[in-house]
Amino acid sequence: MFKNYLKIAWRNLLKNKGFTFINIAGLTIGMASAALILLWVQNEVSYDQFHEKKDRLYTMYNKAVFDGNLWCWNTTPKIMAKTLKADYPQVEDATHTNECTFLFTVGDKKMMERGYFTDQSFINMFSFPLVNGERKSALVDNSSIVLTEKLAKKLFGSNEAAMGKTVKIDSNANFTVTAVMQDLPNNTRFRFGYLLPWTYMKKVGWDDEYWGNNSVQTYALLKPGVSLATANARIKNITKSHSDQKDTEVFLHPAEKWRLYSKFENGVNTGGRISTVRLFAIIAGLILLIACINFMNLSTARSEKRAKEVGIRKVAGAPRELLIGQFLAESILIALFAGLLALVIVQLSLSGFSQLTGKALFLPYSSIDFWILFIGFILLTGIIAGSYPAFYLSSFKPIKVLKGTFKAANALVAPRKVLVVIQFTIAIALIICTIIIKSQLQHGQSRDTGYKRDNLVYSYISGDMGKHYNAIRNDMLASGAVSGITKTSAPITEGWSDSWGYSWAGKDPNEKLDFNVFNVDGDFTKTIGLKIVDGRDIDIVKYPTDSLAMLLNEAAVKIMKFKNPVGQIVNNGNTKWHIVGVVKDFILQSPYEPVRPMIIQGPSSWFNIVHYKLNPVRSTAANLKSIEQIFKKYNPDYPFEYTFVDEDYAKKFAEEQRIGTLATLFAGLTVFISCLGLFGLATYMAQNRIKEIGVRKVLGASVARITRLLSIDFLKLVIISFIVAAPLAWWGMTEWLKGYTYRIDISIWVFIGAGVISILIALATISYQAIKAAIANPVKSLRSE
Amino acid sequence: MVKEEKMIKITDLEKFYRTEEVETVALNRLSLEVKKGEFVAIMGPSGCGKSTLLNIIGMLDDPDGGSYVFNGTEIAHYSERKRADLRKHNIGFVFQSFNLIDELTVFENVELPLIYTGVAAADRVKRVEEVLDKMQIMHRRNHYPQQLSGGQQQRVAIARAVVNKPKLILADEPTGNLDSSNGNEVMELLTDLNEQGTTIVMVTHSEHDARYSHRIIRLLDGHTVVENIMI
Repeated sequence: MFKNYLKIAWRNLLKNKGFTFINIAGLTIGMASAALILLWVQNEVSYDQFHEKKDRLYTMYNKAVFDGNLWCWNTTPKIMAKTLKADYPQVEDATHTNECTFLFTVGDKKMMERGYFTDQSFINMFSFPLVNGERKSALVDNSSIVLTEKLAKKLFGSNEAAMGKTVKIDSNANFTVTAVMQDLPNNTRFRFGYLLPWTYMKKVGWDDEYWGNNSVQTYALLKPGVSLATANARIKNITKSHSDQKDTEVFLHPAEKWRLYSKFENGVNTGGRISTVRLFAIIAGLILLIACINFMNLSTARSEKRAKEVGIRKVAGAPRELLIGQFLAESILIALFAGLLALVIVQLSLSGFSQLTGKALFLPYSSIDFWILFIGFILLTGIIAGSYPAFYLSSFKPIKVLKGTFKAANALVAPRKVLVVIQFTIAIALIICTIIIKSQLQHGQSRDTGYKRDNLVYSYISGDMGKHYNAIRNDMLASGAVSGITKTSAPITEGWSDSWGYSWAGKDPNEKLDFNVFNVDGDFTKTIGLKIVDGRDIDIVKYPTDSLAMLLNEAAVKIMKFKNPVGQIVNNGNTKWHIVGVVKDFILQSPYEPVRPMIIQGPSSWFNIVHYKLNPVRSTAANLKSIEQIFKKYNPDYPFEYTFVDEDYAKKFAEEQRIGTLATLFAGLTVFISCLGLFGLATYMAQNRIKEIGVRKVLGASVARITRLLSIDFLKLVIISFIVAAPLAWWGMTEWLKGYTYRIDISIWVFIGAGVISILIALATISYQAIKAAIANPVKSLRSE
Repeated sequence: MVKEEKMIKITDLEKFYRTEEVETVALNRLSLEVKKGEFVAIMGPSGCGKSTLLNIIGMLDDPDGGSYVFNGTEIAHYSERKRADLRKHNIGFVFQSFNLIDELTVFENVELPLIYTGVAAADRVKRVEEVLDKMQIMHRRNHYPQQLSGGQQQRVAIARAVVNKPKLILADEPTGNLDSSNGNEVMELLTDLNEQGTTIVMVTHSEHDARYSHRIIRLLDGHTVVENIMI
């Protein structure tokens, strides 16, 4: 019986090539799009779920009140992990990680690499498999280092060759490779090329036991059977009970929520990435649904053809369930073809899609689960697409169809109308969303940053650069390669530090006010291109006391309630800073958020970065070459690395750009699939009404009139879809925009534009068939009766 | 004894067709009987209820009133499922427009009822070949309906109707779409089947075809007006 189904299904596919093409093409695109998105979703939801002990793994969060709000953040004191292990019996193990970048030297090879300071507990707690070395003791020794396979190969050529070898870190410390770790999977929050023992931090003086310095990530493994609530209740006062930090509480955040639920508002977990994941999962479902609707519409529109077959089969004794089974088998067969084609498309587009999503996605062909899911996906698609046609077609009464009284309804009967409206509602809503997302992106990009990004470059201060900074600075200025140079604590595109430890005359002692903190040595405003609105720049040459000078931004002046900020004293611990100037607000962090209050401290502080403005008169290449020579002269062991600020700044829009590109892509595909279906329906309608058109033409109807007659029904549906889609898209986008303080107002033109675009697209799709039917010679269609 | 011989006993059968405004009486308290092994022709002008009657006899439609006893069982109130079950084991249909499935070959069309009654594959081949042979269209077994003449198509349709060895064949104007020589061949086939014991009820407009039957029932406005016994 099944053979019989497949046989007739196959012959039907071959006989109606046009419909088969539309059905398979639509389903293929729909399935491929959905599969790509689901691949991404699967990756997102599987983040750090491969750790064997994941149910007992937690990261530590602080929470405290600032500016009247309860803030939560996951950088913690370095001492916390040790204290957790020592003082809390609920904790089986604890570890911490601190990112670091070092120069690696092996023979002649020199490279800057990023890794973690951590300890043996990290290897014990997390399930990152080792390919070489002893798991139990990999990081026990103070001079041991664990490399990832990738780094081991880069440094030594192979894992085996790396084992037991020595690597030089910076110019002064040697470590022995004790283990090589499998490269990190693409679904973990951890990003490192190597692990160094925490003891080295201590040795170089970067470790501290200060409970007020929140700078590392702390992870805890609870003992089996200890509940989150119990542990939280015990641990929450760890900071208070071990220090004079009486305002900070601590809580545990479970591994299953690290990736998708990392947003806290006023102390409450309010989701996070999960909303994007949900949104894309919904989009995947909708695209698949649209493709399935094509199948439903075209299958039921062709019902007259199939009705006779249904009648005969019923008379020959087929019960309805068997007929339903037969039609489902057909749709599953089509879904199978589409699924296989989609698999090819997914494989081909995977590298592009990976680039778009910023993560290396792959199809796990060797996994049985993958194939089970693949088959499940095909069955699901086949059943969704085939169920309505199956129930519809199998419901025909044999006496009607066999006596010829059965008249297939117009191509646009009520259920099909609803389905077309659903398709176009989704398509139009996606068009509107795409336009709004793109406008918001543009809005952010065109916002005045407050400084000049062109020709502005920065490099990390590494090796001997700090020691020779003055000489480097003078050489660079003398070479003519730069027109300005300044040392800072962080890149101008990032805020690395913030503090609430400042006080000044007139400050309410109970109020905690948090500032972004930036350190500069001089020539800061000139090099970066900031505007001074009051006072002057920090200048240690002219004003020797400027080592403790301070600049504020306008937002800081406002929050500190200074009428005349210049000359005021600001205390930080025992240090007294004096304000010498005020700069115009500039964007340090998110271009979509208001500029936060910022304190810019003078030369008596720490520095990591050197910013320099390239001389615009000379070519960029010549400038960089001169600078490289100077860097090499004073810091020969380190490679010359630099970052253009405008490129760095553009990365701030990566997420929006990504969403914008994906939205455009999927809106385009949705529109395409919907139009494919519309084209199919229009074709069928033109065939169905051929006699009517002939009669009308004989009676004197013009081609334009008939074209209008044939198009108007479809256009009505598109207009209804627009009416449904517009408020939905408006609501969705208003919610989305709420995530941005600096945002666009949704303009009525977006809707008018999207409405016009969709009507034009629909019209272009239908008109081909409508005009073709209208210009056909009526003699032919009438004679064929 | 007499009772057992009856295949169909219809009493006061009623059928109405309703649209929003009009109610049309298709069958008006119609009664008739068909004995096992009989060959009955039903005649009458268009719209007199012939096809409605045939559909009810064929269990494709249900009556609005009255009684229908098939092989001694009252089935007027049977559910669609029960009727379908009874139908596929007992009744074969022959239509004016042949009603073959275009996508299936001659062999596959004839095989269809056997599939639905659950006959094993090997057995199906044997039985289909047997009946194709009998209808003299064995050489066309792998052709599609469009490749056959009208007469050949109707022979395939008859082959399909008899392949399940039904007790009753219902023929709805079986020669309506055929020329006279093909029509006569079809009537000969039906007569042969009847002589081998199959009961036949045929709706026809053709007096010529009706003469092949034992008895003509004439309908007018939904009820029997006259019965002619053929000699």
